[in-house]
Amino acid sequence: MSAKRDDLPTGAKTSALPYDEMLAPDGRVRKHYHALEARLATLSPDELAERQKTQERFFLLQGITFTVYGAESSTERIIPTDILPRIIPAQEWSRIEAGLIQRLRALNMFLADIYSEQQILMDGVVPRELVLQAPSYRREMQNLYVPHKAYANVCGSDLIRQPNGEFAVLEDNLRVPSGVSYMLANREASKRVFPGTFRGAGVRSVDRYPDLLLATLKSMAADWRPNPQVAVLTPGVYNSAYYEHAYLARLMGVPLVEGRDLVVHENMVYMRTTTGLRRIDVIYRRVDDDFIDPLTFRRDSSLGAAGLFNAYRAGNVVICNAPGTGVADDKAVYAYVPEIIRYYLNEDAILPNIETYLCREPAQLSHVLANLDKLVVKAVGASGGYGMLVGPHSTKAQQEEFADALRADPANYIAQPTIQLSTAPCLIDHAIEPRHVDLRPFILSGEKITVTPGALTRVALKKGSLVVNSSQGGGSKDTWILADTKGAAR
Amino acid sequence: MLARVADSLYWIGRYVERAEHMCRLSDVMLNATLDRSEAATQVARIALAAVGDPEMARAKSPYDAALALALDRGDRGSIYSSIAHARENARQVRDQITTETWERLNLIYLRMNDPDATRSFEGGSQLFLHDTIADLHLFKGAGDATMSHGEGWSFLLLGVYLERAQLIGSLLEVVFGEGRKRKPVTDHFALTSVLRMGCALEPYLRVYTAEMQPRYILQFLTLDEDFPRSIRFCTQQIETHLAAIVRHSGMAGSGPDRLAGRLRARLQYGDMDELEAQGASPFLKTVLDECSAIHRSLYDAFVAYPLEDRLPA
Repeated sequence: MSAKRDDLPTGAKTSALPYDEMLAPDGRVRKHYHALEARLATLSPDELAERQKTQERFFLLQGITFTVYGAESSTERIIPTDILPRIIPAQEWSRIEAGLIQRLRALNMFLADIYSEQQILMDGVVPRELVLQAPSYRREMQNLYVPHKAYANVCGSDLIRQPNGEFAVLEDNLRVPSGVSYMLANREASKRVFPGTFRGAGVRSVDRYPDLLLATLKSMAADWRPNPQVAVLTPGVYNSAYYEHAYLARLMGVPLVEGRDLVVHENMVYMRTTTGLRRIDVIYRRVDDDFIDPLTFRRDSSLGAAGLFNAYRAGNVVICNAPGTGVADDKAVYAYVPEIIRYYLNEDAILPNIETYLCREPAQLSHVLANLDKLVVKAVGASGGYGMLVGPHSTKAQQEEFADALRADPANYIAQPTIQLSTAPCLIDHAIEPRHVDLRPFILSGEKITVTPGALTRVALKKGSLVVNSSQGGGSKDTWILADTKGAAR
Repeated sequence: MLARVADSLYWIGRYVERAEHMCRLSDVMLNATLDRSEAATQVARIALAAVGDPEMARAKSPYDAALALALDRGDRGSIYSSIAHARENARQVRDQITTETWERLNLIYLRMNDPDATRSFEGGSQLFLHDTIADLHLFKGAGDATMSHGEGWSFLLLGVYLERAQLIGSLLEVVFGEGRKRKPVTDHFALTSVLRMGCALEPYLRVYTAEMQPRYILQFLTLDEDFPRSIRFCTQQIETHLAAIVRHSGMAGSGPDRLAGRLRARLQYGDMDELEAQGASPFLKTVLDECSAIHRSLYDAFVAYPLEDRLPA
């Protein structure tokens, strides 16, 4: 092997050319992109740039921003959005939908199992210590009744399209997944930018998300309260996803509460209103497990309410998502999801996993150490694109740093081959260029499981970059799921 | 409604009203500086005194004072700070405010927060202030036209009218108060400027014609029944909105509504001869004190009430 790191025969060997969402390998435009392509051909680069600016202004005016705090003053930035929609045809979507439903059913069953009988651990399908020693495993949840066994009421899975065109699951997000407001806002925007193309394409609507979310949340208390009071719990205005919390509360028509609005008295949860205390039955919390109750979890937290977890244990309030769901999206447990699906449902996984090396296994560790320049290494507990080594894009020094960390604490790491995410056309500086994208659909589970026919497509705006996280310079764009041409879905 | 939300809506009202009033004071002051008369100097002094900020009074020129009043981020009393606070409160209760209303306020904030804000102020300060006032009117109009006129709306307007009563009260104290060692304001230009500071010139003319009498001006800004910036009008609104809130909560006679009724009656049955006999200053002081008492009582009843009293038995 060459000693030089700059040439990338190794990277090229492990990864084929990325799948292009718009163009087939022979350079022809894929059928479901025809209408958009025709529309783009009639717009000059300046007109496109003008529309891009209009869209950014729309986001800024709506306050769809996150705040960057500086020494002198704070500035608000929008998460970059791209005006060109990403389009997914009906038959591809129905496979994705089936796969997501199957996966979440199995993961909910897995959570119900490990927080009660732990049959799957006794059968040795998933290593016991992997689950019980995960920081996201919450002993406090053991033997606690969760209605419909729906632990992860809101799930946002990250899918990627592999070079062979097949979608695979990269990550399950079962804790407090965010981004759904961007799905809805991007849709608002793209309806304005491409009204004619939108109408003609037969795009499935995402408008039902807020009321489906409300129905899901209400179904969690339906067996003991006929018309439960739902509230959204936010860490507050300084949280980067605050806009989304307020947005969802507004569209569901329920109060947006902070920890300081809540009072727990005799295991009942109340909010302080102008007319005294009012009982809350379901809390859609957008606060991490650690912070929801200083009495049960982190003591230094002021974001939750003291006594909240006991009220939950007593069955007087439902917390959504349930605490402790994170153990099922742990990066090491991830590797076992296909087996988890087979174990509970006796089915093969419809959506495949990405091949994953568990560094806790000595044989796999040595393989990972020998191939650090080709693999993506991730810390099990980290998220948001932090604590991650992208082999082909790393320096020798970074690799050595990770090698030391791996040897010191192998159980804390997994590795995956560097996958060439598919590319979609994006408007970059007045020109249309391909950029890598992933796909985050949103799945709701309460009494039943529903997948909204839409998704957040995240974009790595930097040329060649494979990291789509907004904290690392990623943006987003609208995702059009097309209705079945036979008119079945509309 | 959450107590915290009611609190935020109330403060949005206060801050928005404060910003609008400060814009108007600056505008009248800058307009006066175009003249080199003695009356113009007097107007500038009145405006600076009405702002109530000793820092301002030390500014080198009325223009510097206006610039600082508009855009000084470090000064809690500046227009920028009022807008930023109003908008921050609106963000905290974003789920309670319609998008139409939010957009208006956010737009004003984005313009004042723009790195070019100072330049556009320098390029045309009166235009800048005029546009800000116009946009604040749009904010109130959008709220009126799109928000439900329920409890939240009443808290917002309660903030607006309490703030307005206090601001007009303070302005009148500067102009007509006996305690000041200042020449009585008699000049025609100065008197019209005072009316402009209260956005009252045109409505005044329709009632009293172009005859500028200090007594009429005091009467108009204090006791007029229909003019939306007279103290009497404000107290009527305060009483109405408090009554709505109290009705909603089923806590009649709880304190703030009694205080508001008393204040409204004081203004409704007040008369000019009596006011002059008593002196403007003692009268205005009573008004300002009672406004503060209503504010405190409002907090005790609806926002910062002791929890022990409200726990279910």
